[in-house]
Amino acid sequence: MGRYKQYIPDLKIYGITLFILVGFAFWIKIIHIESDWQQAGLTTFSLGFILLAAYMTAQILRIAGLPMISGYIFVGILAGPYMTGFLTHDMVARFRLVDDLALSFIALTAGGTLQLQFLRKRGKAIAVNILLITLMVFALVFFSFFFIGNWLNLMPNLTYSQTIVIACLLGVIAVARSPSSAIAIINECRAAGVFTTTVLGVTVAMDVLIIVFFTLAMTVSEIILGTGTAIDFRMITVLTLAVAGSLALGIVLGKGISLYVERVGHDLSLFLLFFAFSVFKASIWFNHFMETHFAVSLHLEPLLICISAGFTVQNFSKCGHIFMEGLGRFELPIFVLFFSLAGASLNLDALYMTWPLAAFLFIIRTIGIFGSTWFAGILNRDPPQHRRIAWMAYITQAGVAIGLAQLAQRRFPELENYLTTLVLAVITINQVVGPITFKIALKKAGEVEQE
Amino acid sequence: MKLTFALLIIIFLAFSGYHLTFRHFRLPLFARIFYLTGTEFLVLGLLLGPQFLNLVDPETQKGLAPLTALLLGWIGLLFGFQFEIKKLRRFPLEFFFGAVLEGLITLALVFAGVYLTLVICCDIPNAFMIVVAITLAAASGCTAQTGLAFLSPDRIAKRQNTVKFLRFISSVDGLIPLLIFGLCFFYNPSTGLEGSWLGGLWPGILTSLGASFGLLLLFTLFISHRRFQRELILVVIGMTMLTSGLASSLKFSPLLTNFFVGFWLVNLSRDKERIYQILMTVEKPTYLLLLVFLGVCVRFDSMGLVLLALVYCLYRALGKFLAGFLVTRVNPELQKYPGQLGFGLLAQGGLSLAILLDFQQAFPSRISTFVISFAILAVIYNEFLSHYFLERLFKEGA
Repeated sequence: MGRYKQYIPDLKIYGITLFILVGFAFWIKIIHIESDWQQAGLTTFSLGFILLAAYMTAQILRIAGLPMISGYIFVGILAGPYMTGFLTHDMVARFRLVDDLALSFIALTAGGTLQLQFLRKRGKAIAVNILLITLMVFALVFFSFFFIGNWLNLMPNLTYSQTIVIACLLGVIAVARSPSSAIAIINECRAAGVFTTTVLGVTVAMDVLIIVFFTLAMTVSEIILGTGTAIDFRMITVLTLAVAGSLALGIVLGKGISLYVERVGHDLSLFLLFFAFSVFKASIWFNHFMETHFAVSLHLEPLLICISAGFTVQNFSKCGHIFMEGLGRFELPIFVLFFSLAGASLNLDALYMTWPLAAFLFIIRTIGIFGSTWFAGILNRDPPQHRRIAWMAYITQAGVAIGLAQLAQRRFPELENYLTTLVLAVITINQVVGPITFKIALKKAGEVEQE
Repeated sequence: MKLTFALLIIIFLAFSGYHLTFRHFRLPLFARIFYLTGTEFLVLGLLLGPQFLNLVDPETQKGLAPLTALLLGWIGLLFGFQFEIKKLRRFPLEFFFGAVLEGLITLALVFAGVYLTLVICCDIPNAFMIVVAITLAAASGCTAQTGLAFLSPDRIAKRQNTVKFLRFISSVDGLIPLLIFGLCFFYNPSTGLEGSWLGGLWPGILTSLGASFGLLLLFTLFISHRRFQRELILVVIGMTMLTSGLASSLKFSPLLTNFFVGFWLVNLSRDKERIYQILMTVEKPTYLLLLVFLGVCVRFDSMGLVLLALVYCLYRALGKFLAGFLVTRVNPELQKYPGQLGFGLLAQGGLSLAILLDFQQAFPSRISTFVISFAILAVIYNEFLSHYFLERLFKEGA
């Protein structure tokens, strides 16, 4: 308790600030909105409120030793449509623009954080971790869900093969991680070291590989359900092209950023914001264009493009540190908004409906991660402390997993809403628990910069 | 998708244009006038708007409204930061007196002229006509420094005192017009554009003052600790959004509310320099975005606009000339400045445009679009006139 005494004046200020903020929020909610201008005002106010309230709450949680992104997520959940309804579904949907911008921006940061010299040193360790996590998490989730689902007859409307497909897709989605959360926590803790680099490497590489795994799982699922007859090599070729194309485009754009930094230099943060947003939107437009005009589903991945661009600037130019400084300038507001809105999007109804099964899957996934990272640690001859705590760094899950579940749901409408509901519920748990365990892991690894 | 596309184009234009406009001056003089004032962005906005390419249609404009509110708030905050009492006191008191008087005289003259013209020429409900007249008068009261940027260093050296006074006036003379513009927001339309003034005045003033006080308290609490730069950026963005959003929701001006907050901050906060630096980081792109947004609102659909713009421009020029003359004659301390001081006050800058955009957002109607259209045209006339008259002022005084 004595440790916290020094923080009492701060806590008082934070408390009063939050109280006034909430007061304003109550006030604005009782104002009668008549015109579009007032409606726009409400939207602007809501964004400002979320930004400031999440930041203040995160400051309080920081004193308690919890990660700040938990504060952002917590405020998002509280203000979101499932709790107080301050942010309506409609508003959250409208703020997708912020999401898009933030994701690309975070991907740029992710790429910029990866340093070639560290990756060379830890390349083998990263590969072993990825391999084991993929195999064990997939296998455990697949078999557990399949047997439990059949045993308890959890999905009476589904056939045997449909249950296999759901188990297969759940298994793949369980492998997905959240690079954005990882980056946010690493940046918040200013963590650096072998453990941090390995976790970051695994997380970012997994973000690339998950797309490949998921496509394979979809192909297998189609075969099982009888909608596909054999492995679709065309699809695999297109996928390979898309991944390679995204990476190559990222390299070119990364060179472009380096050129901008070297030749122009000023207003870098604004330039990077614009760049991130443009890449995201241009990729979506390009994908849509290819599909409608040439019937080719060559999906350029904006996140891959940005990761690759960030990686290129960091490792193949002399302006890596200026680039990271430029990103760092607007990083905080972007993180706060992104995670708060992610919190507001967490589907509490889904969690309420399926919480026993979701909790079961969460435990199984965590066991899978623990087992795989433990074995990987042994194979890599990591220090025993790292082996014991590595699992804590891989729990968070967010947007990518939701996106994959929605994609699968669209492809297989016969699976009804089982998959998305379950995935949303599991992600809610992972996104609340994951950041906390990750911060603890970084602290235990001794790689957190002293405040 | 259209909203995103429009947003991308607008941001790109503002960003790239800022580099072209404010960083490269080696252009022919005519082009320089055009470029330095950013007038081309009004034209670009017009092209993007519903009248031509329709990339920014009314629905997209609605989607961009939060950004507009943020923009107005940012400009208001920046303007408030110009009123640091400690710095203002470095100038002689008669400078402040002169600037306020100049703004007030111009405002009064233009108000009278515009009101009479509207009564004669336009069919607008009376109560709303007062709003229109106040807005146009307020917009005409503000002066920009763009014209002074064209002066050669030797001319500045020869007439240092006059330039200093002109600079001071153009920084400060928007104060009274902006405060009076705030009165427009107490106009409460009950049916269409008919409405009453007095009913909402006192509750409105009390609500606005209460809200401003609360927001200021909030801002003060946020910066009561010394924050890292990135945290301060978050606080400034968040508070500007909060203030603008609250003001719009209360049917009040985000520009004015943020001005109040900025004014108190610059005088009370120890972090004022750091906050000012953050605000300045995006000052130029903000200004250009403002121009694009205004350009989008413009509709040139009648020749009457050209005439009305001329009339408005004339009122403003007369107001400025007379105000400049009176200011240099009323106060003995200011008699050393040329009587044609008003010649140097014709440039109409960011604050005027922000007032116009604020008006357009708060009172969207066919009439406000019409008013904005001719006012913008008059701003463009003014940009060209201001250069000519500034030259004359310095030639005559040489």
